[in-house]
Amino acid sequence: MTPRKTALFPGSSAPLPRSASTPDNALATELTRRLGPHKVLSRLSERLNYRYDAIQFGATPLCVVLPESTADVVTAVRAARAAGVPIVGRGAASGLSGGAAPAQPSVVVSFTRMTRLEIFPERREARAQAGVVTLAVTERARPFGLIYPPDPASFRTSTIGGNLGENAGGPLCFKYGVSGDYVRALEWVDAEGEVHELTREAYDLAGLLIGSEGTLGLITEASLRLTPPPQFTRTLMASFADVGACAQAVSRAIATGAVPAKLEFMDQACVNAVEDFLRLGLPREAGALLLVDTDGDDLDTVEEERALVEAACLEAGGTVRRAVSDAESAALWQARRSVSPALGRIRPQRMNEDIVVPRSALAEVVREIRALGDASGLPLVQFGHIGDGNLHPNILFDPRRESPEAVHDLAHRIALVAIRHGGVLSGEHGIGTMKRPFMREAVDPLTLAAFRDVKRALDPAGALNPGKVLPDEEGEPHAHP
Amino acid sequence: MNNEIPVQMIGPQGEVMAHAVDACVHCGFCLPACPTYALLGDEMDSPRGRIVLMKEVLEGSLPLADAAPHLDRCLGCQGCVTACPSGVPYGELITAFRGWSEPRRQRSPLDRAKRAAILKILPAPKVFSLAARVGQHTKPLAPVLPAALRAPLDLLPEQVPAMQPLPQVTRARGPRRGRVAFLAGCAQQALAPNFNAATLRVLARNGIEVVIPEGQGCCGAAALHTGARDEALRLVRQNLAAFHPDDYDAILSNAAGCGAGLKEYPAVLHGLPDEARARALAAKVQDISEFLAGLLRAGELEPFLPASRPLTVAYHDACHLAHAQGVRAAPRELLRAIPGVTVAEVPEGDLCCGSAGTYNLEQPELANSLGVRKARNILSTRPDLIASGNIGCHTQIQSHVRRAGSRVPVLHTVEVLDLAYRGEL
Ligand SMILES: Cc1cc2nc3c(=O)[nH]c(=O)nc-3n(C[C@H](O)[C@H](O)[C@H](O)COP(=O)(O)OP(=O)(O)OC[C@H]3O[C@@H](n4cnc5c(N)ncnc54)[C@H](O)[C@@H]3O)c2cc1C
Ligand code: SF4
Ligand code: SF4
Repeated sequence: MTPRKTALFPGSSAPLPRSASTPDNALATELTRRLGPHKVLSRLSERLNYRYDAIQFGATPLCVVLPESTADVVTAVRAARAAGVPIVGRGAASGLSGGAAPAQPSVVVSFTRMTRLEIFPERREARAQAGVVTLAVTERARPFGLIYPPDPASFRTSTIGGNLGENAGGPLCFKYGVSGDYVRALEWVDAEGEVHELTREAYDLAGLLIGSEGTLGLITEASLRLTPPPQFTRTLMASFADVGACAQAVSRAIATGAVPAKLEFMDQACVNAVEDFLRLGLPREAGALLLVDTDGDDLDTVEEERALVEAACLEAGGTVRRAVSDAESAALWQARRSVSPALGRIRPQRMNEDIVVPRSALAEVVREIRALGDASGLPLVQFGHIGDGNLHPNILFDPRRESPEAVHDLAHRIALVAIRHGGVLSGEHGIGTMKRPFMREAVDPLTLAAFRDVKRALDPAGALNPGKVLPDEEGEPHAHP
Repeated sequence: MNNEIPVQMIGPQGEVMAHAVDACVHCGFCLPACPTYALLGDEMDSPRGRIVLMKEVLEGSLPLADAAPHLDRCLGCQGCVTACPSGVPYGELITAFRGWSEPRRQRSPLDRAKRAAILKILPAPKVFSLAARVGQHTKPLAPVLPAALRAPLDLLPEQVPAMQPLPQVTRARGPRRGRVAFLAGCAQQALAPNFNAATLRVLARNGIEVVIPEGQGCCGAAALHTGARDEALRLVRQNLAAFHPDDYDAILSNAAGCGAGLKEYPAVLHGLPDEARARALAAKVQDISEFLAGLLRAGELEPFLPASRPLTVAYHDACHLAHAQGVRAAPRELLRAIPGVTVAEVPEGDLCCGSAGTYNLEQPELANSLGVRKARNILSTRPDLIASGNIGCHTQIQSHVRRAGSRVPVLHTVEVLDLAYRGEL
């Protein structure tokens, strides 16, 4: 066995174990011949592990390609096309909408070994291959006094390709924007296996690929804008009798000119879940908890902005606590960061919704969703990026105790609440298969037709990630994913 | 994760496994914590992937032989346990799975013999010492031996020290403030007798009487983690008989792997008659650093003499201390309590050094890559000393640091404390 280098972490020199058995289908044989056994997985034990993302299991792929270069991706796409097999791009499979879980037997192109990353401090730019882990960009840029702000909670795991596939956001996106806002250029492979480099001149084709969930092309590399980190950050936590007051405080603060870096809220059920878990001393009786960071390079402005938020909170009847040290800020944010594990202790599984509604409708939306949750009998908590009106109602369930139909039904009702209040189906997690059935209710027929035209133009054969995002043409039943 | 593991057919260990599989939401947060995923970049060699593989095998939809290569590459380092937001008890899962699957595995006679030999030699200090000496004389042959046989030789120290017999009771110096039982460990007695000697001196100096209960044996971790469940159960029961938790303030270990092993007893005996006893014992088990840090926090630890010059100590978190037992702060607090000592944090500190029990012997190439990487990361802190709390890490790190051309001493945390008490640091 010849030792080979993987590019995943610089300097790692482990030999890649090769697939021991011979490939069991013609396509896998062909790909193995062209790319070598290290880059092609065809055994059942290997393929079984490329059928899921963080929300669902899909079809077992026919084979899996682990490209190390754009040329490998081209080879994979061409061979799959010649064999008439669909192609599914995959990053870290931390997606929450089923995007990377194949809807049918496919070739999965998993980018986890495409991890070349270069930093160009003079241009404030990073050039990252698709498989670079999000956090790595900031870690590598920091010594040059730069960071990459998009911060999905999954940033230790998720990849740049997956982030761009979903146009991922995070707490910082209220002030700093989402992943797509940081893209200067993209290299991508189209459905025919041609390589393109896109900047954002003329038609913003890069923008079209961003958030397309691997249905229009495979992103192989991206040039990402970097920024200097803010020098100062200030934190406050406010509690309110109800979500209405919380939303009111946020709107008022923004109206007075504050641009906080993070604005996160947790409802009472969520606060209690975290409190049960960690006993941080959070106010259990509060209807809603608000966490705010203001930041910038001028301490006076940062403090001033915090004072504006504080005044707005007090005016809305809230109780405010300012963090006086970094340690205290960290302690306050620990509450928000602990939501995931805390919920895991209530039920082993959860359906993580991701709706966006106008801030003016927030109080009403949260109330309606709470009522739906109570009526369904399923445990439900709400939290999210309140600055953008991006809510994450989470339905907690145990497949042994609760029926998947009931969970799905509640998710659908929640989506309808968002749509009814002028909101959208997805803020940052994408449509995938999870919300595809709701697309007809969310998007008008003409726009949907335009989407289909775009898809047909870029992927006439429908080879790229079929069964995702766009609902089928004929009256598709509301299939359970 | 939904599963249809036939728990009734498997028994109590089936429950342990099904519970872990249930709790995993396949979010992938554990991926960056996994050394094999870091090296190989594929899902089958990640914690999430391994959980799926085990589930499929237990459900009967994947032959064990297909999953085995990926499960064998798992170091059992439990880095994934620390990283998992859902609290999936991966350690219990893989241990139970190995116990369940080992009797069902097809292994070559050579492989079987090798494993049997390891399991015989490792837990018996005298045999180990002898084997180590034989190994030492075989070292010149190393270049012509196959990798699997070469790996253990590479790890042997240049001088295999003489065995030091341990006193059954070590009296406290000064007024007695406490009484503890001590697990003397096995391989470590042969490879690094000074770990135990230093431990006894440091405890005695702090007024702690140390008893090494007769009849104790290997903690059973090595057997357990390689799937030799019957052998492990025998050792576990032997120790349950030897250690009487009520007689002591604490039961101490200075080897992270053994301490973690003792703390695992309740899971091993889950559903068996001795479960309650195992719980009582596990509740008393502490790592030496936890125990001493307890004294430190209570203001009861004898003060250390200052180091002769400012020293940077690179502290390496042994997986079985940091991930399996959650002990991170205690050793750092103790080292910092020595005037003149600064503790350096090692980059990628959470990643296993590749030693992991018998891993060196079974997956020499991966173990080697991890060892090289660990040595580089440790040396990047420009340490004057390297400290850790586990014999396996100790030998692995020492061997790779030496190969990287450095002569920096590698010590057990308690050896550093001992030197500080004696004014020799
Ligand atoms: C606990 C938890 C917290 C999360 N928090 C957030 C959050 O705060 N904000 C947020 O936005 N998301 C969040 N997510 C969701 C998820 O992490 C993001 O959607 C992330 O961007 C997915 O990245 P990935 O590399 O895992 O992509 P994958 O899940 O592998 O893929 C996502 C989609 O992108 C496509 N894709 C992947 N790579 C490529 C490529 N190279 N070219 C084209 N298409 C590609 C896939 O086909 C799929 O449709 C969270 C997930 C979890 C489990
Ligand atoms: S982090 Fe935990 S829940 Fe998530 S995939 Fe890994 S083991 Fe499963
Ligand atoms: S125990 Fe260590 S090697 Fe095994 S899956 Fe977990 S992190 Fe990876």
